[in-house]
Amino acid sequence: MIVVNCPHCGPRNSSDLRPCGEVTSRPDPATASLSEWRTYLYMRENPSGWVTEAWYCRSGCRRYFTIERNTATNETRRSEAS
Amino acid sequence: MTHNRLPVRPGEVIDRETSLAFTWNGRPHTGLRGDTIASALAADGVEVFARSMKYKRRRGIMTADHWDPNLSVQVGDEPNVRAGSRRLVAGMEVSAQNVWPSLKFDIGAANQLVGRFLSPGFYYKTFMRPKWLWHHLYQTILRRFAPGGRIHWETSTHGAYDKRYAHPDVLVAGGGPAGMGAAIAAAEAGASVMLVEHEPELGGHLRWGDAEDLTALADLLAAVQSHPGIEVLVDSTVTGRYDHNWIAVMQRSHEVAPERLIKARAGSLVVAPGLIERPYVFAGNDTPGVMLSGAVRRLINLWAVKPGSRAVVLSANPEGDAAIADLEAAGVEIVAALDARVGEDIVEVEGRGRVRRAVLGDGRTVAADLVVLGTGWTAPTSLLNMAGDRPVYDPTAARYFPNQLPDNVLATGGITGNGSTVELVAHGSATGTLAANRALRNRHERRSSTARARSPEGPMPESLQDTRVPLARTPHPECYRSSSHGMVDFSEDVSSKDLFQASGEGFDSIELMKRYTTATMGPSQGKLETVNAAAVLAEARSMDMVDIGTTVWRPPFAPISLGALAGRIFEPIRRSALQDWHEAHGASPLLAGQWVRPDHYGDPVGEARNVRENVGIIDVTPLGKLDLRGPDVAKLLELVYVNRWQKLEIGRVRYGTMVAEDGVVSDDGVTGRLGEDHYLMTTTSSGAGAVWEMLEDYLQTYRPEWNVHVTAVTGGLTSINVAGPRCRDLLLRLVEDVDLSPEAFPYFHVRRGRVAGVSGCIIWRIGFTGELSYELHVPSGHALHVWESLIANGEDLGIRPFGVESQRILRLEKGHYIVGQDTDGLTKAPSAGLGGLVKLDKHDTLGLPELRASYARTDLPVLVAIQTDDPEIVPMEADQIVDGDSNRILGRITSSRMSPTLGRSVCLGQVDPSLAAAGSKVTILLVNGHRVSGTVQEHHAHVDPEGVRQNA
Amino acid sequence: MPDIEFKSPIAHGPVSAPDGSVSLEDETSTTKVVVRAATGTAAAADLGVPYGQSRLRADGTLVCGTRPGEWTLFAAAGRATEVAASVDTDGFVNVVDVTHGRAMMRVSGPKATAMLAKVCDIDLTDDMAPDGAVFSGSVAKVTCDLLRSDWRGEVSYLISCERSFGNYLFATLADASTEFGAELPTGLDIH
Repeated sequence: MIVVNCPHCGPRNSSDLRPCGEVTSRPDPATASLSEWRTYLYMRENPSGWVTEAWYCRSGCRRYFTIERNTATNETRRSEAS
Repeated sequence: MTHNRLPVRPGEVIDRETSLAFTWNGRPHTGLRGDTIASALAADGVEVFARSMKYKRRRGIMTADHWDPNLSVQVGDEPNVRAGSRRLVAGMEVSAQNVWPSLKFDIGAANQLVGRFLSPGFYYKTFMRPKWLWHHLYQTILRRFAPGGRIHWETSTHGAYDKRYAHPDVLVAGGGPAGMGAAIAAAEAGASVMLVEHEPELGGHLRWGDAEDLTALADLLAAVQSHPGIEVLVDSTVTGRYDHNWIAVMQRSHEVAPERLIKARAGSLVVAPGLIERPYVFAGNDTPGVMLSGAVRRLINLWAVKPGSRAVVLSANPEGDAAIADLEAAGVEIVAALDARVGEDIVEVEGRGRVRRAVLGDGRTVAADLVVLGTGWTAPTSLLNMAGDRPVYDPTAARYFPNQLPDNVLATGGITGNGSTVELVAHGSATGTLAANRALRNRHERRSSTARARSPEGPMPESLQDTRVPLARTPHPECYRSSSHGMVDFSEDVSSKDLFQASGEGFDSIELMKRYTTATMGPSQGKLETVNAAAVLAEARSMDMVDIGTTVWRPPFAPISLGALAGRIFEPIRRSALQDWHEAHGASPLLAGQWVRPDHYGDPVGEARNVRENVGIIDVTPLGKLDLRGPDVAKLLELVYVNRWQKLEIGRVRYGTMVAEDGVVSDDGVTGRLGEDHYLMTTTSSGAGAVWEMLEDYLQTYRPEWNVHVTAVTGGLTSINVAGPRCRDLLLRLVEDVDLSPEAFPYFHVRRGRVAGVSGCIIWRIGFTGELSYELHVPSGHALHVWESLIANGEDLGIRPFGVESQRILRLEKGHYIVGQDTDGLTKAPSAGLGGLVKLDKHDTLGLPELRASYARTDLPVLVAIQTDDPEIVPMEADQIVDGDSNRILGRITSSRMSPTLGRSVCLGQVDPSLAAAGSKVTILLVNGHRVSGTVQEHHAHVDPEGVRQNA
Repeated sequence: MPDIEFKSPIAHGPVSAPDGSVSLEDETSTTKVVVRAATGTAAAADLGVPYGQSRLRADGTLVCGTRPGEWTLFAAAGRATEVAASVDTDGFVNVVDVTHGRAMMRVSGPKATAMLAKVCDIDLTDDMAPDGAVFSGSVAKVTCDLLRSDWRGEVSYLISCERSFGNYLFATLADASTEFGAELPTGLDIH
């Protein structure tokens, strides 16, 4: 069980948080084509290595934030509130 | 019974004054306090302790410690007890495992005669055909091979298991000299220390050492015990190291539970497991009476047990040499002292049930009853592997060494090299200091970055350099196999000949060979056999050991009971403020998610009918409730619901449906406007948490400029639905400050006032059941009073409480769909029968492009009401709707009940658009295989489709 | 409505070990008011404490920084209106009375921390969770707000959770206390 550094609470066990996956950019729903929308819904980089992802501090401060995590080593760095 | 107990030994752990009576296979024995089960039996002359797994060969003491593969026994109702380390307790009923009919005469020994049919991988080659014999014959036979004891389902006397969390700065795995040195030094440096040792006492190999060792042990023990910062756990094992030093410790011998799982987050982990002595591979090496040097030294020095009378010793190292001295002190005749360092060897042991003769490398045969081997040591690198290390084999020292560890894991002691006690303790000390330094730096960082913590007093401690003088890698002969073949994996009955065969069959990588032969996969999990297996494979393939590699060590390091892994089960149950009342009044409990709710009070049909005729009340507290405040709430509602919300007036309520970004219907509920900037949103009870998180997500990450505060009030407001033609009459008696007349309080409006004297209640008119109804939201601390007042005041009006089942019937009669029941994880908005609710011309709604796309489709299923042509038939929910001829699935029944109001069954279902028109005939496939016909109705509501009753 | 009884979800009386090592009691009737206030508002400035800390106000109200931008005010039972009125609502500020919405219990004694360590994975050592610390986490699978609030010279915690979990949480904490000698009243057994 990895440690995730919440920018508000400090380091917490990952069971206190909900992983929200890679950070995505929501297209304008009024103008986005279905293809652009589905890229937003389903397509992810999924690298072996550093990824920018969102977490929700569910049992703690209830804030969403982003961190960078290395998917191969679970090293994390540089937390910024999103 | 021969009595093998020796006169007093200097370091013995037995209490000769306290005798303990126990039984072994039904026969009475006695031992002394401090004995293990095995040492007590050995003292009493027992030689055979088990039968091996496959060939049922007799087995005796080999290592006399926790890792002995031959000493798994059943103690009372506890299976798989390790007799080599489990302390004897008076009254124990010990028996051999996996023998039939008895340890003495095991019919399975006949397997030895058909050994060539039981070669490695035999279960891939035999018991294949004919297939029909699998259940009756093959399974029965193969079950016989499964090792392990018996579980007594009915009579087990184990208490509940337990767990706890810990946060030591430094966790030391291993309580030998280096481990103790590390613990003391770390504690001196100001770290909190947890010292874990799997034997029942600290000390490691010092315990069976010479006088100097015993003195050093006493000093170290005194230092450990006197330091308040060291928590000592003996008879406990560090079983796994996970990410970021999340560590599992299995604590035994705790007064609360037989096994307790400790989940620790350690700043630093010090791995000091010492070395595990390795068996030697030769013919007959599993015969009772063949022991390792440590075994005889432990038997003699810890428990004063004479292991035999005439010994052959093969030694390759100082520990083997020390065994000779201990044997002589115990009065054992040394018939041959062989030195592997000059090429002397043992080739074979003969004897059934006990060593009788040994054939030596020089051709001599000698009579003996004890063969002692000190041929090598294996580094138990598991925890290091779990930390990402790939240890490297050193042929000069003939063992593996740690290679590369993360900063928060340090190795010390015998696993890193050899040394005197003083050197081991010094290395341990230096390691402990380093471990403490890193852990305290980590603690400093945590204190700085954790909101609740006290800020650190000074600056971050300086990082110490690792200036430890490495322990020596003393040369050791590579002594794995004699010139004959013998047992490699004692638990799995895999011999070196089997490994050669497997390699010859092409299973020639260590990972393949392990899986094909099952070598290293038994209860020992490789501790005694991995290195020998690698050596044999290297031989078979004429390769160097260093190129063979090892298999990957995974947690757990030592077996854990499943009960301990489960620990105390935490299964939260949520109860409304009225649940005690429901239970006291005969409610049948329904578990819905985490909630326990009343399903009915004994007569769901009667309760439902009473709602249509008089007045009923139902506790709907699990309904998700979110208090929304701020100037931008309407914008938020407009975003998350499919309809429009900007113009909802104060005092009005609106129904809304939510879809997710992929256009799938996700939740629904009503939301009322209580004030200028104040709304109350309701959600489905199962969706409450998800909707809350979703609102916070969009507020925090998508529209942080919107001012909205969301507060969950699901439990704080007890929700009571009062429904039926007489409900207004009832409420008139109890509601104050609100004009309840239909003109002043129309359908889908909300008011605030007092009910039964309780202020702060929210009342709205909505209609799930299709009757005139009001939903009260009452501050929970006073809710029971309100409920009881309703019951008392409604008696003459025919009030009855009703539960979830009645509500299901009533809403189905009215054709009201339920998200998650009449829709599923793929249902898009057009299939939820929302009609004009969905506004496709908004600027922004969750899932808007998918909504548009779904409404452009003509192939999506349609939600319809269905009545079976035979009114008595009540289909089951999820019964399929099929094309009568081709059997193609065209839909399913999603909700189904017998309607008390109509006296016939009523359903909702999802059907192919070709069947959606009113009057269409559908074929329903019942679970019993029968097909029945039904008709699609014009409206979803089976009863009062115009909605006259609820708008009264 | 002083006549109408405030009923707690916790159906049991206090649980304690005879030697005083740990005790557990229901404090659900405590006044609990949540204040959400944006940075820069007068309310945020008045309340003062940052996320993770608490202070006792002169009027006896315990002000806790329970989340970024959110404070929970605890006071003796029956003071909700008064406490809510004490908040300056100028700007984007909202005050919600959660007295009914949260169950609350107090755990005290020399073994209080050891007992919580059986059901909660948060580091409760003195410098990570000192007296006055405010934090949230999972206790026996229920999300709780915790406050270390040493009481009568003993280590003590106030733990609050969503009301409907109250009875379950109390029973679970009582069970965890049995290791330290606490005696369970009849009807309180999680097994």
